[in-house]
Parts: sequence; C-alpha cells; structure tokens
Amino acid sequence: MSAAGFSARGPLLAALAMALGLMGCGQQPSARVSLCGPAGQLRVGFVGAEEGRGSTGAVVLPDQDISRLRDLLTVASQCEVMLEPVASPEQAHQRLGASEWDVAFLPPGLAALALESSANRGYSLLRPLGQRSQSRSQLLVRAGSDRRAVADLKGARLGLLPRGSLTGFYLPLYNLHGLSLQSVHYALSYQELLDQLRKGQLDVIAWDAALPDPGGDVRVIVNDPNLIPVGALVLSQPLVAADHQPFLKLLDESAAQLPPSLGYVAGVLPEAQPLQRLRTVVTNVESWTLPLEGRPYAVYGRKQQLKDEGVMR
Amino acid sequence: MKFPVLQGWMVGSGQRPLRKQLAITLSAIFALSILVAVVLLNQLFGLQARDLIDQRSSFFMDAMLAVREYTSKDVNPIVAPLNEGPGGFRPESVPSYSAQTVFAYLKAKPDYREYSYREAALNPTNLRDKADSFETGVIERFRSDPSLTTLAGEKSTPLGPMHFVARPIKITKESCLVCHSTPDRAPASQLLTYGDSSGFGWKLNEIVGAQIVTVPQKAVFEAKDRSLFTTALLFVIAFVAVGLITNGVLNQLILRPMREISRKAEEASVTPATVSFDERNRSDEIGLLARSFERMKQSLAISMQMLKDRQGRS
Ligand code: HEC
Repeated sequence: MSAAGFSARGPLLAALAMALGLMGCGQQPSARVSLCGPAGQLRVGFVGAEEGRGSTGAVVLPDQDISRLRDLLTVASQCEVMLEPVASPEQAHQRLGASEWDVAFLPPGLAALALESSANRGYSLLRPLGQRSQSRSQLLVRAGSDRRAVADLKGARLGLLPRGSLTGFYLPLYNLHGLSLQSVHYALSYQELLDQLRKGQLDVIAWDAALPDPGGDVRVIVNDPNLIPVGALVLSQPLVAADHQPFLKLLDESAAQLPPSLGYVAGVLPEAQPLQRLRTVVTNVESWTLPLEGRPYAVYGRKQQLKDEGVMR
Repeated sequence: MKFPVLQGWMVGSGQRPLRKQLAITLSAIFALSILVAVVLLNQLFGLQARDLIDQRSSFFMDAMLAVREYTSKDVNPIVAPLNEGPGGFRPESVPSYSAQTVFAYLKAKPDYREYSYREAALNPTNLRDKADSFETGVIERFRSDPSLTTLAGEKSTPLGPMHFVARPIKITKESCLVCHSTPDRAPASQLLTYGDSSGFGWKLNEIVGAQIVTVPQKAVFEAKDRSLFTTALLFVIAFVAVGLITNGVLNQLILRPMREISRKAEEASVTPATVSFDERNRSDEIGLLARSFERMKQSLAISMQMLKDRQGRS
C-alpha cells in the first residue's frame, strides 16, 4: 500500500506546487521599507516657513506644488501621504498638540512649540526651512497715536496673528506682559492687521521687521531684540525611532523639486540653540489663558527672562 | 487517443504492477483536473475579490454618508453656536471632518488598513482635500454626467496600481452653504482656521467633489490568492484521500484474492487433490476465475489419476 501511496502523492504535490507558482505571478516585491505613521499613512503638515505674508490668508501653496510635493513625499516614504497645507498657525497648533502630524514643515514659532511637547510626543528637527532674514517681532501703532511706550498700550485693542506664530502671537504677548488690554483680535495676515490699524479698528498690531516698510502713517512702538531663527522640517518621535534615513536622503536629493518658497536646505541639521531659547517664550505664553477674539485680556502669567547670549544687535 | 505512448504508460500495457498503473493514471487525471480548476478559479476568484472590495467600498461610502448626516442633523446644531463665539473653530461641527475622522478610526483596524478614504474637492476648504489630477478627472466626469453614480477602476500611483471606487458629492442642503458659499456667511472662527480663499462659492445641487475609496491592487490579488490557495489545498487533500482509498479497495477486492488464487494454482500443479479454490463461492469475477481454476484442477486431477492407472496396469 505505502509504495503506491507515495507514487500517487508525488504528482499531486507537484500539481499543488504548480498551482502555487501560478498564484505567485502578478506580484512584485516591494523594494523598500516604508515610513508610515501609526495610522498606516504619512500625515504631513505644511505651514511653510513664513507666516502672515499673504494678502488675506492666501492659498498656502499653488496646486501644482501641492501635488508635486505629495508625490515626492510618497516616493520618499513609500507610504500613502496625506498632505495638509494649512493657512492658519492655529490649525497647525491643534494638529501638533494632538500629534496628528507625522512630518511637518513649520515656521519658527511652531517648530519651537513642536519641540516643546513631552518626550514621547514631541518632534525632532530634521532640516532648516526658510532663508535667514531680518525677521524680528515689532508692535506698530498709528503715527498719530499718542501712545509712546509699552505702558501706554494699557487698554488698547491689540491685533495678532493666530496662536502659533512667533512674531505674530508669542513675542508680542510676551512683550506686553503685565498689561490689561481692551480686546484682542486675530487676522490671518499682517496686511489685514495693518488695514484694520489704519482704519482705526485696532490700536496696536503685531508686525515683523522683515516685512516691507509699512509706510509713514504707522510707527514702531516696541522693537523686540531677538532675531528670529529659521523654521524647520520636523519629524514625530515614533518616526525618529524608525528608520527615517532613506526618507531624508531622498528629500535631500530631490531638494530642487521642492517649492523654492519653502527654503529647504539639504544635508544640514537645523540649529536647535536659537529655537530652544525662544521655546521659553513659547512655553510661557502657552501656559497663560488664551486670549479670545474680541474679548478683554489681561496679559498675565509666568514670565521667565530669556538668557542673554542669543541676543543680537 | 492521440498519444499512444502516454496512453500505454498511463492506462496500462502490463509493464508494471496493476497498482502502480492505477496510481499513475489517477495522479495524472488529478493533476490535470487541479490545474484546470486552478486556472478557472483564478479568474473566478479574481472577479469575486474585486466584487467584495467594491461592496466593502460602497458600504464605507454609505457609512460615511450616514456619519455626515448625523453630524449635519445632530451635532452641528449643538456645536455651531460655539463657532460663532470667541473661541477657536470646532471642526466637530463639520460633516466632512467627522466622516474622515471616523474613517481614520476604522482604518486603525487591521482588516481595513489597506483601505483609504478621501473626500476630494475641486475647491476644498481644507487643502488636504484638494483633488489631484486623477481625482479632478473623476469629479469632472461626475459633473458632466449627472446620471453617473459610481465609478470604479484602476489608477496608477507612485506606490503601485490602486483599485478605486468613487461617488459624487453633491450639495443637496441649504445648510451646507452656511460654510461653503461666501466667507461673510461662514463663522469667523472658521475663516481664522481655514482662511477665506478656498472652499467657498459652492452652489446648491452642484457636484463639488467625490468620495473616493482606494485599495492597493495588491490587496485584491492577495484576497484572491488566499481563496485560491485554500481551494487548491482542499482539492489536493480530497484527491489524496480518494487515491489512498482506491488503492486500499483495489488491494482488498482484487489483488489479494488474485495472489491467493495464483498461489493455489501453483500448488495445484503439483498436488491438485489437496488444493481447494474456496473463492469459487463468490459471485463476482474472482469467483468466476476460481471456478475456472477449480475445473482445471479437477481435470488435472482426473488426468493425473488416468496416468497413474495406466502406469499401474502396464
Ligand atoms: C460648520 C461649517 C460647515 C458646514 C455646515 C458644512 N461644511 Fe463642509 N466643510 C467645512 C470645513 C471647515 C471643511 C474642512 C474640514 C476639514 O478640515 O477636514 C469642510 C469640508 C468639506 C468637504 C471636503 C472637501 C473640503 O472642502 O475640504 C466637503 C465635500 C464638504 N465639506 C461638503 C459639505 C456638505 C455637502 C455640507 C452640507 C451637508 C457641508 N459640507 C456642511 C465646513 C462646513
């Protein structure tokens, strides 16, 4: 019986092997490991290196740049990419706070904030973004205003960019510490704030020294000495722990295809030092209650002085 | 038969023991049937897998529509007043947001990991939902042919070919236009979060985008291969069992009695009187053979007796 049994099984097994071989066709092996977030997708946030520059919360990225960036990130990560360009730092603030982004292209304020989150939830800096500029936080009033010093701003109506912006939110509030304001208002761009200041709807607005000269009808009342560092491409801690080198390498090699306005610098780690310094400002202001649109606000809470070494000028 | 060699080899020209001939014949038949079955089932299961994925995708889209409906009807009325207030914008009031969030939770389950869901729009509120060139093509087709309710097919992506199922998103409620018509109708907090440059200017009854579910083509193939493998395995197991049983039956029914008869016949050629072909009582072919041998044995015994008698007389 057994001899016959074997001679009968042999060809059957061969047929099975043949069937399996047939099924094996039509599959190609995936060449590289993929860099994905916990949800099986790579969620990429995009704020760009400069905030509040558009006329009215303008489109963050032109359409063709969005799809090119998405494709590039897909190839680099070998993972499905969900690219979310946001117009408002507030939106980015929420996403970072809830760890809803795995990778993000951030301006300095948000990069400092991203660093701030706790050890297993925070982000690491990968690459610097944006050109070094004369970016510094300022506060503007109308030229004819009789407010001359910071103390005069008591009871003023303040215009800010949404939470998350360094020159548009954190530094202005930090510099107004101790004052009671009549109300706080938000806009998505400096231009909008300037228009409202000119129309008399606001008494003082946040401004960035790197912006084109606003003209003679307004004047600078507060000039913050801190030079603003560049923004950063950041990566969430779980992905830092994963093998992200191939991803970074491909981005570096394709740097020329990234939107030029992004200012991506290949092969360089961002300087953490200046961002770390401004983190103090960010954490301090973050620990205060959030000023609400159109409501009175007392700028009050813990305020630590910045260490001196980074102060320029 | 066209192949006399094969025929001789398989069906038995008497070169090998019966059992071996039978085994070879059966294996060849089984292998051939499995091969044919696998080839046919490969096609069938391919269609079935695609069907299943289309069904699931449809279900997802229906489920997401239900989530949207729930948000519009039950959540938005509660959350919308908050968005008019001084705080930040609460996206929980947005149908699209809840649908995409719910899907993200679904996707966290291993069964649905391969699936992705998008609500792509030509002019989206959240630039994440901006239709790419492929999605734009799909949406334009829905816009140009309002009777079209579903589109399915393949698309190529940097990650390989994908299977997709799409349905149009049409603005059917006036309530949608609060946030999607003009910036001054939308909550101020929404403008601060999303800006005022996109996601507006939508019209009632306009198809503004599409729900799109995508699955890697690889997943379709894998689902098919799993069914095919199981079926092929079952076939093989069944055939091996049939082979073994046939073998046992052959042995019990034919080979053993034949060997027995053969042994007795050999004995009978020397001492016919002591041998008895008991199998002659069987009514099958073995019995027939045994009866023939029995007659031959008796003839032999008579002949031998006559020979002996003649020797004694002389
Ligand atoms: C409370 C304001 C609000 C209402 C009401 C509203 N939407 Fe939206 N809609 C939004 C916002 C905000 C987004 C972006 C959500 C996100 O970030 O995912 C959005 C996103 C969408 C999207 C995805 C594409 C995009 O623009 O990002 C579609 C499609 C959509 N809405 C359709 C509708 C339909 C249809 C209705 C009516 C049933 C509706 N919306 C009602 C505010 C609203």
